[in-house]
Amino acid sequence: MTAREQDVLRRVGEASVLILVSLADGPKHGYALIQDVRQFAGVELGPGTLYGALDRLDRLGLIESLPAEERRHPYRITAPGAAALRAHLDSLERVSAAGRLRLQLGGA
Amino acid sequence: MSAPEARDRRLVDAALRCYPARWRRRHADEAAELAALLIADGNPAASIAWSYLLGAAREWLTPRPGRSLSAVAAALLAAACLLVFSAALLAETGPARAAGTTQSPSGPVSPAIKPAAPGAGSPHPFTSCRPVLPRQGTGASPAAGCWLLSIQGAAHARCC
Repeated sequence: MTAREQDVLRRVGEASVLILVSLADGPKHGYALIQDVRQFAGVELGPGTLYGALDRLDRLGLIESLPAEERRHPYRITAPGAAALRAHLDSLERVSAAGRLRLQLGGA
Repeated sequence: MSAPEARDRRLVDAALRCYPARWRRRHADEAAELAALLIADGNPAASIAWSYLLGAAREWLTPRPGRSLSAVAAALLAAACLLVFSAALLAETGPARAAGTTQSPSGPVSPAIKPAAPGAGSPHPFTSCRPVLPRQGTGASPAAGCWLLSIQGAAHARCC
């Protein structure tokens, strides 16, 4: 299997990747996720987008919902989720490195 | 709960009702609480409700295994939800707008919407059920007409 085929996150959208990055350091509920993503990426996740992405990641088995604390459900990244995130970040790094190198060579 | 808070909550609840029941069972309570927190942070309730509305449309239109609804039926449901949501938005300023839209005797009237027997006992024969665009400066959506107000029932019956 190629590295590109291993990267299951390449089709799930930016919001899903940002959520996985946010969950990489521990479980969070919806409000904490929105605040964290705003802080590290400068992206304002709408609540509708957030729940859409959470459902998608859950269906893919990349995150799981933990028992509710009051009305809030914390979410946790799963082992396949961590592996998928790692593969996606590796892929981004390769693209980033190639882009920077070509910019340098091209003198742009 | 203050009037603006109650209004914001109604708006968000209207948007959340547009989601499929399966989604609501799982997320509705949490989503309502999240909306309350975001509104408390200073986010406009309308933008939160809009985000939920778009999420609901996506939820209906996303193919699921075992879902028998066709894409057309799902799109119709989403459109119906949009209509209900628009009506809820209009309800916020309903009384003020109703007062501003009931008296609009001036201006041309399309022949297509003229009643067959004008002047039958009414001082404004052409105000019977025509779309009345909101006046400038009222902050109303230009797409909003009298029809949506009529959906909300008797409270806005003066308009149509």
